[in-house]
Amino acid sequence: MRSTVSALWMLALLPLAAQGQVSAPAQGAPPAAAVVPPAQTVTVSSTRDPVDKSYRRMIKGMLRFEREHALAPQATLRFRLLPRTPKVDMDGITLKVVGDGISVPVPVAPDNSFTLPRNEQALREDAAVLANRKTTSMTWRAQVITPGLPPGARRLGDLRLECLVGVEAGLVSNRSPLFGWIADTLNSPEQVCNSPDGNFLFFTERPLFSVTLSAGARREILPFRFLYAGGEQTPDMLPYCDCQVLLDRTYYAPIWDRSWPDDTLLTFDYMDDANAPEASP
Amino acid sequence: MTRRAVPMLALLLAGCASAPTPGTLVPAERFSQRVVPGTTTRAELLAAFGQTRTVVFDSGMEAWLYSAAAPGGGASELVLLLDRGGVVRKMRVRPPAPGDQPR
Repeated sequence: MRSTVSALWMLALLPLAAQGQVSAPAQGAPPAAAVVPPAQTVTVSSTRDPVDKSYRRMIKGMLRFEREHALAPQATLRFRLLPRTPKVDMDGITLKVVGDGISVPVPVAPDNSFTLPRNEQALREDAAVLANRKTTSMTWRAQVITPGLPPGARRLGDLRLECLVGVEAGLVSNRSPLFGWIADTLNSPEQVCNSPDGNFLFFTERPLFSVTLSAGARREILPFRFLYAGGEQTPDMLPYCDCQVLLDRTYYAPIWDRSWPDDTLLTFDYMDDANAPEASP
Repeated sequence: MTRRAVPMLALLLAGCASAPTPGTLVPAERFSQRVVPGTTTRAELLAAFGQTRTVVFDSGMEAWLYSAAAPGGGASELVLLLDRGGVVRKMRVRPPAPGDQPR
């Protein structure tokens, strides 16, 4: 709550800051009118868009995966790009880690998944992970998959870890740009992934009709409100949702509900009748 | 400005947490008799059970949610998938679960 209040006051101060009315302490500083700083030339070799994915944060996500690996001991971590805007071309995507003095290509698999190399210089330079697409045209997710599951099934512990890594890595962007920085202050991985109100979205490969949870003898169908981002997205809300063009593939998993063990399996009934197994999330 | 911004933001954030609207309540037995996947149409649903909560997808498919009183208490969900032509393609019934809790 304290962080909420702080965030609200910071928001209230924004317009003042924009007008130059919030100043740093001026202890010992000469009167502004008397100071004429010498002209300086600054060379900027690349520019960072505020929505670019941060290499540092994605590496933090990878470290989180290592710390929380017990949730999915057999699983491996990849990142995955999914379409977000209607016209984005998801073929031929290239990625690179770009800092002030470094550019490292990142191989992208045919399913648009990838892993990030560790690079100290990129960390030092606070590099960005850039695609040859507008960053906001795609949904970015962590992908944690335990091998050997029944065809088409997902494991709840894998999804728990996907949430923790995804939030830690700063991949989620279900928000208006105006309030995005506030969401960051309010939404730690624990707050998002351990709360029924965390609203962390998962996606299937095909349009979804029903999701069933199974753990031992316990078996439940997910309620309607767990599908399609709650089923309440209006056209004017969708541009602010990671689910913008994936609405019919979107579901919430009860990752916060510890009465479902990590080994709980999720199985999917799709809108179409094909029985082809789901290759990945 | 500051005094206005804080309550406005609080309202915006509160709006994000509103509870979903349940589907229209219908008699379960009549619903199961009248709704046949592959046959029942949108017009027939509206005539028999009225409007309810729906989600319309870019593909033209639609998900409809009705509710029915469950024998042991609570409400079952009756979910329908309508195709682009407005015909019911799939149906599922979800009884209330003991572990149900707000999401």
